[in-house]
Amino acid sequence: MSISGPQRSFLDPQVLSRLSSIPLFSRRAMVGNVSGIHSSPHRGSSVEFAEYRKYVPGDDLRRLDWRAYGRSDRYYVKEFEADTNLRCCLILDTSGSMNFGSTGVTRLEYARRIAGSLAHIAIRQGDAVGLTCISDKLVRTIPPRRTPSHLRGIFDILEHAEAGGDTRLVERLHELAETIPQRAMVVLISDLFVPPAELREAFDHLRFRKHDVVVFHLLDPLELSFEFQRPMRFLDMEGGTSIFAEPNEIADRYQKALQAYLEEMKAVVLGSEVDYHRIRLDSDYEQVLQNFLAMRARTKGAR
Amino acid sequence: MSFLQPAMLWALPIIALPIVIHLINQRRYRTIEWAAMTFLLAATTMSRGYARIRQWLILAMRTLAIAGLIFAISRPLASGWLRLAAPGTVDTTIILLDTSPSMQQQGNRAGVTKLDAARTQLIQSLQLIHSNHWVVIDSATLQPVEIESPGVLDSLVPAQSNSTSADIPGMLQSAYEYLRDNRPSQTEIWICSDLRQNDWDAESARWKVLRDAFLEAPTPTRFHLLAYGDGAGGNRSIRLTSAETRETMSGRELLISFVVRQSESEKTTLPVRLELAGGISEIPVELTGKETELVDYAIPLEGDQLKRGWGRLTIPADGNVADNEFYFVFDEPPPRQTLIVSDNEDSVRSLKLAAEISPEINTQAAVTVLTPQQAETADWDQVALLLWQAELPDDSRRPLVQSVIDRGGRVIFFPPEGGRSGEFAGLSWGDWHEEPEGFQTVSWRQDQDVLANVRSGEALPVNELGIRRYRTIEGEQSRLATLDSGDALLSRAITSQRNIYFCGTRATDDHSTLARNGIVLYAVIQRALAEGAESLAAARQVVAGSVDGVQAERWQRLSSDETAVSTRYRFHAGAYEEDERLYAVNRSVEEDRPLIVDPERMAGLFQGLQFDRVDEQIGEDNALLREIWATFLFLMLLALIVEAALSIPRRRIAQAGVNPAFAREVPA
Repeated sequence: MSISGPQRSFLDPQVLSRLSSIPLFSRRAMVGNVSGIHSSPHRGSSVEFAEYRKYVPGDDLRRLDWRAYGRSDRYYVKEFEADTNLRCCLILDTSGSMNFGSTGVTRLEYARRIAGSLAHIAIRQGDAVGLTCISDKLVRTIPPRRTPSHLRGIFDILEHAEAGGDTRLVERLHELAETIPQRAMVVLISDLFVPPAELREAFDHLRFRKHDVVVFHLLDPLELSFEFQRPMRFLDMEGGTSIFAEPNEIADRYQKALQAYLEEMKAVVLGSEVDYHRIRLDSDYEQVLQNFLAMRARTKGAR
Repeated sequence: MSFLQPAMLWALPIIALPIVIHLINQRRYRTIEWAAMTFLLAATTMSRGYARIRQWLILAMRTLAIAGLIFAISRPLASGWLRLAAPGTVDTTIILLDTSPSMQQQGNRAGVTKLDAARTQLIQSLQLIHSNHWVVIDSATLQPVEIESPGVLDSLVPAQSNSTSADIPGMLQSAYEYLRDNRPSQTEIWICSDLRQNDWDAESARWKVLRDAFLEAPTPTRFHLLAYGDGAGGNRSIRLTSAETRETMSGRELLISFVVRQSESEKTTLPVRLELAGGISEIPVELTGKETELVDYAIPLEGDQLKRGWGRLTIPADGNVADNEFYFVFDEPPPRQTLIVSDNEDSVRSLKLAAEISPEINTQAAVTVLTPQQAETADWDQVALLLWQAELPDDSRRPLVQSVIDRGGRVIFFPPEGGRSGEFAGLSWGDWHEEPEGFQTVSWRQDQDVLANVRSGEALPVNELGIRRYRTIEGEQSRLATLDSGDALLSRAITSQRNIYFCGTRATDDHSTLARNGIVLYAVIQRALAEGAESLAAARQVVAGSVDGVQAERWQRLSSDETAVSTRYRFHAGAYEEDERLYAVNRSVEEDRPLIVDPERMAGLFQGLQFDRVDEQIGEDNALLREIWATFLFLMLLALIVEAALSIPRRRIAQAGVNPAFAREVPA
């Protein structure tokens, strides 16, 4: 499968080529509409043995294990795992704060790369991929489909996504948790600048809906280090008040607040069983995705 | 505090540099669009009290460090002279050094006199100060002496101790005249004194004149008083009150009377050493109170010392060695020769009688009465008292009268009948006034001069005199007695020797009761005669500094302080000889009265002037001024260390543990 259409700035064919060798697995059973590589909560006709169960009238006689009958003189039906595809819902935070980037790459641009690459990998292995851009509202949404032509639509949305507006991440996640059918892979790419306690409820909601929640938490190196050489006037990218400060004076308190936030975030994602990835914008996204896919491959099989 | 390099203080505004840099830094802010406002808001709303204090402390420490550096290179001086002028601007520094005997009292440190301490402190302190000219005025000569630097004070002759009482107003007057003549731009006057009342003469009207003169001077003068108030206690002094010879059956003998004073009443026997004619004897004196007087202690005279000689009384060393000795000289009493010049011998009979009758048996008195025309025939060299009751001397006789005056003899003029023309010593005769009932004397000087009270303290009966006829005395005069009409009865001409008197009436019954009530006339004549005779005496007791410099030029030392140079004999206690005359120079009687000018009075003397005073304190560092740049350097270093400690970045909270490439927080 090739990337059709115009060249996308956020896609690198070579990176995609290298990543395509690693399949994208879900951590839990998915409910798809066609067969695929993901485990399903239902029994199916795959080659992977699941269990024996007693024959009951109505069962297909072809599925009787005659060898078992020969050994035990009892009728057993041999059941196999069902393999299905998954629905991957990419949720892209497009609030104003996503436009920040001190390394030459904005948070939104980085998010595009991750989302585009994941969409390409998923479609390529037959999974359905949908995309939702959120800020203070659902900016744009496209339901999951598995056709290659659908990929172009996703890329178009990614390309034209613009950061702006306030963040209402928690409300939008609750909304999406209800609208996305159960047992989907929900990939959230955001800076998560909301109170972690509020976020926890949204994550729990998604978990309740049996979604496999993946979070890519994008943080800029400058936000982490907070190193400035002179007094700064900080303008809120989401329209709030500006703050004048001597960074060196408040750096320790800033770090303290940041540390508390990250600790709390860590507790939230641990409690909500979210596949959480904290990512610096100066890190290589290919490496990020490679590690993400490899880890997924190692933990495949949960049903 | 003052500075040796005050120009460096112009750099003081640099201390604002850290604040300016801080403000500029504040202005150099950059604007950035920021996403993680949550943490920023949290950081700015956290308690900022310490951070703000720390920030100000750092600024303060930087400012202090720069200030310390500037002060250090300005070479500050520490002293009690808090308002010392900036030394760099001083053009002339005048040192008024009180070298009176009282300054030889030991100070707070044993073995060091006040004068030594003052010299040492001046040398140590003033050498730190830059001045274009250095001038010393000593209390003996009152003459300004320019010196190269304060370092020579130790060896400078005028700065050495002597027996002359100080005249601080006179010294200031001399300083003022020096300033008036030389017109320096900025002047400082340093006065070193022990604040004795007799030295300062605080009640004198001269102070007001001086104060006004300095206030009106074109350039400001700053006064510094280095006061040495209280010294070591336990001081004794000795003073001879009389020394005279007399003939007795066993031969000639010397009678001396002396007083021993002690600061604390102590009952003891004091060995008074008498040095006479090369021999030394000891007179034990039983001290009972603060003052013990030995009267007419007889010492037989033998050999060559029969008629005249010198001696010295000394007591053991104590707190002040300057008042432990007293010199005296003795000789046969001089003849008391009186010359009366009058047109009419009858009218001066009372005067003749009053002068002729000597109060002492041993003293011979002789009176000669001459007319003005015969006056030239008299032996003027032997005249102790001249009574002139005729027209004032004309040009031909004036030199004769003047010779008596110059020598120290006394002259009293009585009014002639006519002759309004002419004047003498600024005084002349006015009109006659008559009053049959008689004028009364309403006031007269009872404290000094010829009308002073008698030794017992009783006043002369001047108010009992009746003056029927008198003549006014015209001209600048010092009135000794004033009549109820407002005119003067007896006046003294204002001259340096204070020995010319004008009496407004005559000692005849038709003029006054001077003759009839002879006590006043006799006292006046005999007192004038005694003082006049002193000038003829071959042995004179003089107060140090009171003898004219020209007169003392030919003095030869018989005995005195070995350090005294010949040109300054008259200021040093000792026995001296000039031709046939003997002189005993001693400190004034006021030196034995340790009365101090109180601080309020002292401050009042310099009211309106820039005046500082520092008292020598017990245990105080010897130096008045001290360079303390090292202290400021230390303060600067301290400020820098504190600043560094405050500026050390607080331990940064470890940045969020984000793996640069990937961090997986939740295991699947």
